[in-house]
Amino acid sequence: MDEMIYEYIVVRYGELTTKGKNRKDFINCLVQNIRRTLKEFPALKYDKVYDGLFIHLNGENYEAVKEKLKYVFGYAYFSGAIRCGNTVEEMQETALRIAQAHDYKTFKIKAHRNDKSFPMRSDDINRAIAGHILRNTEMKVDVHNPELMIYVVVKKDATYIMDEKVQGPKGYPVGINHKALLMISGGIDSPVAGYLTMKRGMRLECLHFASMPYTSKQALDKVLSLVRQLSAYQGEIRVHVIPFTDLQLAIYRHANESYAITLLRRMMYRIADKIAKAEKIKMIVNGESVGQVASQTPESMSVISSVSDTMILRPLCMADKLEIIEQAMKIGTYETSILPYEDCCTIFAPKNPTTRPKEDRCRYYESKFDYEAMIDECIAKKEVIVIRNGEDTDTELF
Amino acid sequence: MLPKIYLDHVSTTRPDPEVLETYFHLLKTQYSNSDALYDDGVTLYRLQEQSRARIAEMLGVKAEEVLFTSGASEANNMALKGVAWKKRSGHIISSYYEHSSVYEALKQLQSHGFEVTLLKPGADGRIAPQQVAEALREDTILVSIMQVNNELGSINDIAAIKKIVKKQSHAYFHCDITQALGKTDIDLEDVDLASFSAHKIHGLKGSGVLIKKRHVEMEALISGGQQEFSLRGGTSNAPVNIVLAKTLRKALERQPAAVKHINTLHAYLLEKLKSLDGVRINSPEDGLTNLVNISTPVKSEVMLNCLNLKGIMVSSKSTCGSRKSEVSRSLEALGIDDEYALRISLDTENTEAELDQLIGALKESIEKYG
Repeated sequence: MDEMIYEYIVVRYGELTTKGKNRKDFINCLVQNIRRTLKEFPALKYDKVYDGLFIHLNGENYEAVKEKLKYVFGYAYFSGAIRCGNTVEEMQETALRIAQAHDYKTFKIKAHRNDKSFPMRSDDINRAIAGHILRNTEMKVDVHNPELMIYVVVKKDATYIMDEKVQGPKGYPVGINHKALLMISGGIDSPVAGYLTMKRGMRLECLHFASMPYTSKQALDKVLSLVRQLSAYQGEIRVHVIPFTDLQLAIYRHANESYAITLLRRMMYRIADKIAKAEKIKMIVNGESVGQVASQTPESMSVISSVSDTMILRPLCMADKLEIIEQAMKIGTYETSILPYEDCCTIFAPKNPTTRPKEDRCRYYESKFDYEAMIDECIAKKEVIVIRNGEDTDTELF
Repeated sequence: MLPKIYLDHVSTTRPDPEVLETYFHLLKTQYSNSDALYDDGVTLYRLQEQSRARIAEMLGVKAEEVLFTSGASEANNMALKGVAWKKRSGHIISSYYEHSSVYEALKQLQSHGFEVTLLKPGADGRIAPQQVAEALREDTILVSIMQVNNELGSINDIAAIKKIVKKQSHAYFHCDITQALGKTDIDLEDVDLASFSAHKIHGLKGSGVLIKKRHVEMEALISGGQQEFSLRGGTSNAPVNIVLAKTLRKALERQPAAVKHINTLHAYLLEKLKSLDGVRINSPEDGLTNLVNISTPVKSEVMLNCLNLKGIMVSSKSTCGSRKSEVSRSLEALGIDDEYALRISLDTENTEAELDQLIGALKESIEKYG
């Protein structure tokens, strides 16, 4: 089809419209996110109306804008549209242009009058336009399963005629629900957990534990590249990178091997808790799923998360691994996640990690060394990396 | 000194200044082995893989299906011999007017016991899909047909040919897209192997790609290290491979405007050529407009010298065969005497004023030596 025919994109809010008094905040946040996501198209003009956002393409490429819009949470769907005058003749001609731009055999017209003062009723508009298309093309009307739906929205100043409804990723606009700190390892689960968190409208910051030299630069690059993929949904993401090696070695020196992972996770949560508080982040998020590994049995999870009083969210806690993999493939992080680099949990992984750790034994091992000081040192040495969407540092090379 | 007029763009093109700048920058700043495990090597590797991924995306294939080579000639050899060696024996179909890197590779394979059928182009300068259908056999392992012929500019119906190959055989389909890339649309669906060079699209010489789909099994031409998925050993030429993404992106971005400009020049050139006595157009009417093959009453060699004295650069036939006394297979197949042929090839950088000078020079030479 000829992509040049659209002049507008009409974005419909969907779920947002049910949000009562907060509606305005939601819409402002959504529109702001859309504008930020589309800032590489400077010619676009935006017009907010009650139930949607009209984006005037103003010469920008529809397909390119469409691709970008798929990374904005918080709207229901959007359509490419052509604007015409409020006369039946103009509506007929415009609808015919849209019909002829496709290769479909059947169609249906669905008119809606926002402006009820327009003299024809919606059904009469449907008939008038359908008749015109029937006379000028080989297409047939199919009211039940049309290949092409043409929507006609009559407004006070103009009529918008549109066809395909492109579904958005749904959810809430990112930023409407405060911030979350995502513990990201480089595996399959944490990026999916991050995606779901953003989808509920929370802004992400990421926390990564690096164990150089036991883990490589590539392992960190892999995490950053996962974050870069996630950043498509929120513009930019800060990554707190914690040098974790010394603390990790201390654990192996002082604790029974079977408790190493449990203690390691407790230290991670303590660090996450401190960073969340310092950054005024209300929630810690991670990719844990009940029973998946030794540190994710109910007993382990409870002993591990007891060290943090910041709320911990586990969006994937009840999901099967295969469901998580499927979602990772859908959001495009899977291929990166399976790159084979060691992460801080896989090195020195004990042969027989405990699946039923006891709180008092954890405390006993932890009493053998000054972990508080080491945690503070980890945080003091943390590095913050800001990942911006699209801002691949090397873009000028390509 | 005379201003130079370059009308041999099918032979090679002037490197894009932006591509060169990036290349110089990389050459000066990055010298590590891209397979080294320290930071510098890793950085270079990452950039090269980013380039691979971008090239893949632009061509609608997967990143692991893009193999960097030294150019289309190598890619063609790699595709044909790589597949043939893997299969050990069998029948190969190609055309009589393929680029010498396909033709000679096939002759070599023939001498090693492979059976080769070479299809002759019709009067329209094209290989008819029906010819391929008729030549296919039970033991056909590979069909290789170029998308655009480098001496005539004729465009083969790749869509129809690949459909026949896929439907009627288990053979792989290889397509040399060197002359098509950046001039006409490329569709690599159901194409198992494809080759192109960077220097034909304002990139660097010594740079090219073989597209090899995941399911295609082949042997390495250059055995060695793990580079290019162990199919082409040798330290990667990372800076060259990195700038190929930019080269391709710019070529594809330029394409719509370039085609428009070249179409205008082409129409202008044909109109002017009509006014010259004894000049015949050899290129088919429905060929690519960037290439005009003509015959004049003056022998090619003499005409080239005349034009050269005036600073005008054209070629008589494929530049890869310019120093051999062999006949042009493309022209011979069409019954054209290649001793009088000239190949004029246009690009966005050319102007009507330059074509006026060409016409003037042709006219003068024809009057004097024709």
